[in-house]
Amino acid sequence: MLSSYLSSMDTKSSQKTRRSFKKPFIFAKNCVYRPMRQISNMERNQKLPVDRPTYFTLNAPPSLVPAKKYSDISGLPAPYMDPHTKLRFANAEEYASMQHMPSDIINRYLSVRGYTSAV
Amino acid sequence: MGSPKRVLVIDNGSYECRVGWNNTKEPALRFRNVLTKPRKDRKKEAIPDTTDGAPTPVAAEVPAEIQVGNDITNIEAVRAHLKSPFERNIITNWNHQEQIFDYIFTKMGFEGEQSIANPIVLTEALANPNFCRQNMSELLFECYGIPAVSYGIDALYSWEHYQNRRKKVSDALIISLGYSTTHVIPVLNGKLQLQHVRRLNVGGYHIITYLLCLMQMKYPVHLNAISISRMEKLVHEHCHIAVDYREELLKWGQMDYYEEHIMKIQLPYNPVTATNALLTAEQKLEKRRELAMRLLEIKNRREGEKLLEDEQQLFVYNKLRQLYEQDKLQKFELALAQQQIGNLDELDSLISTISNRIKRIKERPLSSPKPSKQQEKIDKMPKAPEGVSQADWLAELQSKREQLLQRKQTRQQQRQEQGKRHTHAAQERMRIISTLARSEKRRKANGEEEDDGFGMNDNDWDVYKRINRYNDDSDSDADNEQLLEFEKILSHYDVNFDDGNAVQTQSAAENYQLHFGVEDIRVPEILFQPSMIGSPEAGLAELIAFVLKLFTAQEQQRMVEHVYLTGGCAQFRGLKERLAREFLEMRPFQSKFSIYESDDHTLSAWLGACVQASQPNFGQTLTTRKDYQEHGSEYFREHRASNLFYPTPKD
Repeated sequence: MLSSYLSSMDTKSSQKTRRSFKKPFIFAKNCVYRPMRQISNMERNQKLPVDRPTYFTLNAPPSLVPAKKYSDISGLPAPYMDPHTKLRFANAEEYASMQHMPSDIINRYLSVRGYTSAV
Repeated sequence: MGSPKRVLVIDNGSYECRVGWNNTKEPALRFRNVLTKPRKDRKKEAIPDTTDGAPTPVAAEVPAEIQVGNDITNIEAVRAHLKSPFERNIITNWNHQEQIFDYIFTKMGFEGEQSIANPIVLTEALANPNFCRQNMSELLFECYGIPAVSYGIDALYSWEHYQNRRKKVSDALIISLGYSTTHVIPVLNGKLQLQHVRRLNVGGYHIITYLLCLMQMKYPVHLNAISISRMEKLVHEHCHIAVDYREELLKWGQMDYYEEHIMKIQLPYNPVTATNALLTAEQKLEKRRELAMRLLEIKNRREGEKLLEDEQQLFVYNKLRQLYEQDKLQKFELALAQQQIGNLDELDSLISTISNRIKRIKERPLSSPKPSKQQEKIDKMPKAPEGVSQADWLAELQSKREQLLQRKQTRQQQRQEQGKRHTHAAQERMRIISTLARSEKRRKANGEEEDDGFGMNDNDWDVYKRINRYNDDSDSDADNEQLLEFEKILSHYDVNFDDGNAVQTQSAAENYQLHFGVEDIRVPEILFQPSMIGSPEAGLAELIAFVLKLFTAQEQQRMVEHVYLTGGCAQFRGLKERLAREFLEMRPFQSKFSIYESDDHTLSAWLGACVQASQPNFGQTLTTRKDYQEHGSEYFREHRASNLFYPTPKD
């Protein structure tokens, strides 16, 4: 009994490799990993003055220039869009190649461009 | 204290971490800021001890060694298990950061000492949240027992380094292009204008990932061969930023330009030998002939053995026969019983069959290999019917073939049309289905089998073919067979016949090549057009214009006279020219601006931090252990290259 308890203690402490230059230190339980979203919420709840710059107020503003349209496949300027797949294309050859494209690749092209269907 | 202690400078970037002493020329340690924990070795799992049955803890408790940075031998093998303390450019996972500090301090020779006795300069993100700095200070002071730390911003250190060798400049617009973010940083009167800094959340990471996606979609076959490491190499060595994106893009649209400038990247490829598929026709023929010879040999040998056996048997039977002829009946009966033969007639018939067999085999000469089937096939190839010239016949075949092809094509088109809703074909199909269903219903309502004559004519059944969405029916199979037949005949008689799907003469290795063309400019362009990866943020040029508009015209002018580029992504060829072009567009007519580049895009931040750490007033920039204890863990001292300190409001 005792020996198994001791060995389990051993595993606990050996999870962090012991190094001579370190002092025993453990982060507060909920501070070890906090994703950015939580940090953002924390700062929002602090009710900082409006003009106080924080990490989250420095985000770039949304673009005011209309996004240029490029072919999903070749990257060339694309005047056309296939109404069926919603892929953009620049010329007839690309359109032909799109007809044999598996749907997972089509969806990936769309998701890379950030297209989400309205449905 | 005596002479000031040397300072450990850590440029903790989200891509690469650089560590070194402030009095050296370059960092002693550079590593990718990642770690991985390999899965435990199966062997090391608890092995029951034979002596007392309890598991021996020695073997069981060896924890898997955590590998950090350069200790990772094959980064591609553990790509899925790579961990980084960073989320974007701020640190969110403190366990990982602790592992990385362990690695740094061990490599820098602190093993065996009681604590880290040297002051530290550490870079952090612009406007690093107080929560993150708090954790960092706690970790450094409590866990490692450091005496003092100075937090700074990498881009500003880099700017310091640039000025160190030249005359001091008070106003600048710093553009820092990092791995996960891109910053536009205005500096006025030597002071960071933190409230007007703007950050574009696009960086080298996005560029690499974008290229990875594009390549994987372009070559789905080589999905596994297109690795992040390879894409990183492509981005680092071959991508550049187009000065005029649209113009360069249109050039790629032209075939000649494409042929001339396309870069082909050979993926690792091992030629598969000795598989039948890759042999030439001649080799195949040779192989087949060898096989036939061997079979024939076996057959001949077997026949020879059989012959020998038969001859012996015949000899025995003939002896028996002689016994009978010599009237030694008793002996003869005995021998017959021994050979399990009934009577004389049976013996006679046996003798005759065996001798016949021997005769047959001996008459036949050792069979030679028959003419190969190939030959026969060619002989069997249909010839032009009599009375028709070969040319006419071939022309007729050709036209038949054309017809078949056309039929095939219409079928395919029909199928495609039917696949989409709201097309005429799809609606026609629905109409037929509904009429079919209706007529069936009517019959049932009547209660009696009212024959409407459906099926009397064979063509009636075609209606089912027409509503079949995938009409890969027997019809098209037959067509395909006929098509093949025609093509075979045509190619046999006409050398120049091109069946339209001739296999391109391409070596197998060429199938393992990636064409890297327009991606060269397309991928880094996301810095200027984040909309290409679906980000709504303003591109770099638009962002610069936005930041400049937050200042007065004079301030703007003062800043654009020193536009300074730094960070890993500033290494892209053409960036400076592109920005010059953009500035020309956005600045007033005939106004001046100038763009400077850092001396070493990746190292200048570290070097700048070293410069500051070596200056006599360095002590004032240090947040000491005393400060930490007095002012709390989020406090830090401001200096030229640091963030601004805004204490978290107390409730």
